[in-house]
Amino acid sequence: MSMMHASQVSSGIAAAVPPTANLMRWVIVATLPGIATMSYLFGLGVLSNVLLAIIFGLAFEAGVLRLRQRPLRPALNDSSALVTGVLLGVSLPPASPWWLIAVGMMAAIVVGKQLYGGLGHNPFNPAMVGYALLLVSFPTHMTLWSPPQELFPADLGAQIAGTLPTSQLDSMSGATPLDAFKHKGSTVLASEFWATNPLPDGTLSAWRWAALAWLAGGVLLLVKRIISWHIPVAMLGSMLVLATLFYISDPSHFASPMFHLLTGAALFGAFFIATDPVSAASSRRGKLIYGAGIGALVIIIRTFGGYPDAVAFAVLLMNLCVPLLDLYSVPRPTGQQKATPEERRP
Amino acid sequence: MSSAFDFPGGIYPPQRKQRSNQAALIEAPLPSRVALPLLQHSGKPATPCVTSGDLVKVGSVIAKREGLISCDLHASISGTVMEVTATQVVIESDGKDTWQRLPAMDWHSVEPYQLLSRLNESGIVGLGGAGFPTHIKARVMEQHAIHTLVINAAECEPYITADDLTLRSYPAEVLEGAQIMAKLCAAERIIIGIEDNKPDAIEALQNALTPSLPIPIELSIIATRYPSGGERQLIKKLLNVNVPSDGLPADVGVLCHNPGTLLAILHAVRDGQPLVSRVVTLTGEAIEHPGNRWIRLGTSVREVLEQAGINLSGPNQSKLHQVIQGGPMMGTPLLTLDSPVTKLTNCLIAATLEELPPAPTEVPCIRCGECESVCPVALLPQQLHWYARAKDDDKLERYHLFDCIECGACSYVCPSHIPLVADYREAKSRIRIQRIETAKAEHARHRFEFRQARLAREEAEKKARREARQAQNRRSPTQASSSSEAIDLRGLRIAHAAAKASVKKAEKTLARVAQQDPNQSLDDLEMQLATAQENLRAAELQLAQAREQQPSKESP
Repeated sequence: MSMMHASQVSSGIAAAVPPTANLMRWVIVATLPGIATMSYLFGLGVLSNVLLAIIFGLAFEAGVLRLRQRPLRPALNDSSALVTGVLLGVSLPPASPWWLIAVGMMAAIVVGKQLYGGLGHNPFNPAMVGYALLLVSFPTHMTLWSPPQELFPADLGAQIAGTLPTSQLDSMSGATPLDAFKHKGSTVLASEFWATNPLPDGTLSAWRWAALAWLAGGVLLLVKRIISWHIPVAMLGSMLVLATLFYISDPSHFASPMFHLLTGAALFGAFFIATDPVSAASSRRGKLIYGAGIGALVIIIRTFGGYPDAVAFAVLLMNLCVPLLDLYSVPRPTGQQKATPEERRP
Repeated sequence: MSSAFDFPGGIYPPQRKQRSNQAALIEAPLPSRVALPLLQHSGKPATPCVTSGDLVKVGSVIAKREGLISCDLHASISGTVMEVTATQVVIESDGKDTWQRLPAMDWHSVEPYQLLSRLNESGIVGLGGAGFPTHIKARVMEQHAIHTLVINAAECEPYITADDLTLRSYPAEVLEGAQIMAKLCAAERIIIGIEDNKPDAIEALQNALTPSLPIPIELSIIATRYPSGGERQLIKKLLNVNVPSDGLPADVGVLCHNPGTLLAILHAVRDGQPLVSRVVTLTGEAIEHPGNRWIRLGTSVREVLEQAGINLSGPNQSKLHQVIQGGPMMGTPLLTLDSPVTKLTNCLIAATLEELPPAPTEVPCIRCGECESVCPVALLPQQLHWYARAKDDDKLERYHLFDCIECGACSYVCPSHIPLVADYREAKSRIRIQRIETAKAEHARHRFEFRQARLAREEAEKKARREARQAQNRRSPTQASSSSEAIDLRGLRIAHAAAKASVKKAEKTLARVAQQDPNQSLDDLEMQLATAQENLRAAELQLAQAREQQPSKESP
């Protein structure tokens, strides 16, 4: 065979799966409803995040490639840095200062991806590496989510430039629903909490709309066969099961499953973050375990941990488990006998 | 009648069969010259038994089987042998096309061993593309109980329509050939597995299926999906049985044959006609008259393509980019158009650049897992890819590299255009070479044993000749010559039986290994078989000699 391989036929007529660069572009297309909805609800600060992250992402990618003496064009053409930029951009609080985004993208592209050998070799999701670094390094900036506001918020330019004093920043920002619920205090019952109307007007519905927009993008990815159903279904399923169990056991203290699914980064994470094929498990069984693990960790950290949301940490922790999952979820080839425990040992 | 069973994975590549399945199956014009390679089958090349200048007829044996896994070769045209080299026999035609056939046989009444020797003499190999000698495959019934004969008419690769046209043109003959093989291996039933993209062939088969056939035949129409024509995949689909990874279909009581092979078997048995021609699909956009032809073995590809309307020179040259032998998924590109059509050539695709463009540049694997979802053997092609690139052979074997059937489904879907199957083939051959290296000491020991056995046999022969001469000289044998050595007839008989058993065992191992992995080097096993055969010959001689002396000793 050698010279002639099957994709020669495929490239003649439409192939079953679009080439890698197209895969990446479809992911970007699928983020558009989410970006548009969030920009509409939280102002153009979302869009500025994304644009800045893309610019920094491409710049860092090109810079490291040059240092590694690798050709620029193929790596930039595969659009993977673009995807990382978009994903980190929408994860950050709207209108984040430029230096925050630059630090995040440097962690994502340089440390999270290129230092491991570039696309296909990174053990962790690059965007989440950047996000986690920012979250632990700059907690004040990372928790400043502005409440829903008009398209052109005042001081947008000053915010991005990072010249706005912190006192003014504080007055502009509000808690996210997850944040507020987390800090309601153990003496306050859930029903009392909601009765006090703790969030600025429209916050909860804004987060729900954003979640639904990400769901729409996720469905597009599924329909286009860019991602398989295993990881999102397993992740959302395990979140649903675990949250329901907690909720049934004590509805006065635990949040409802719907609250968990429709606020924070649950749907965004399930379709856009956890499905990153490079850092996810590869076999079907492995993907199911991987997704379920992320879902479980998200609920556990949200409920018992120190952070209001946990998609980034959950994904990174499960990334760590991927080599193990891959090792133990090798499917049995047709005609092979069931492996004995002895043979299965790696 | 399609079945509910299924193998994992599979793909749906563009079929492109319409180009070659429109025209009827016709006979190609006689070539003026043929070049017949000595290796047109899996196993060892045949040994030429003609010299240049010999006159041959169509069907004359020109090369004999060498070793167990090998096959006789016959002249495909009548004429003069022009050249005999280490690799091929060239024959120039006399234009007369005179035949030399074996006596016709009535397969209903002959003994199985007669059928087996006919298959052996007729040079028949599996015509689906693997080229495994049919007479070896037919001998499985010596070790296995076969209950089902499967006619593999799936023909799942794009472009190829040779089986389709064979079935449309000779449905009754193919079924009769299947009856012969089923009778030979004592199968209780025959199942035809055919993809639903061949309605004409299905209709022809339905018309040819008469209740009077002695062994019942079942027609099973399966959905078109690549690679349902893989032996193990088809058996899974038709019978819902998994062939063990280290085993053969015969281990689960199944034998698979291609329709073309069955037709050749019928011709060999009923008409005494050895394998001298085969049906070849000529297709591709660079050909003006695509279709299927009966082509004499050894005809050059250039001649075949030119007859099919390809313009290889001059200003109006066709836009030929490459010629592929076999299908687009598993076939090989021909390096030269001067290579001949062989028993293994089921299809020639003369493709233009637009039709089968070269694969785009490879980009890194993003572990999307698409390859895993299409693998018909449920392997992890992606892990295999990493380990193949890292040359981690232990891991490759742990991830069952040798279960890969090289169907190319993974390469087909790979969004990063990674030539996965090419990598696997490379890794497989690297591991095979390593195995041979490690087995070298073993091989040397086997060579030594063979030499010892040969010397012992020669010694026994010499001794037998000497004794015979002495006996003749003396006329009346005296007691003195043999009474000194006590003849242990019983011991010799046991030794003879043991030698016979070890020949059988060596044959069995060899046939098994050869069927499991056609690319494996069989030299060592052939050597062991030859050793066993030498031992058997020596034992036979000793036994015969002892038997001769025995009466003289007992009748004083």
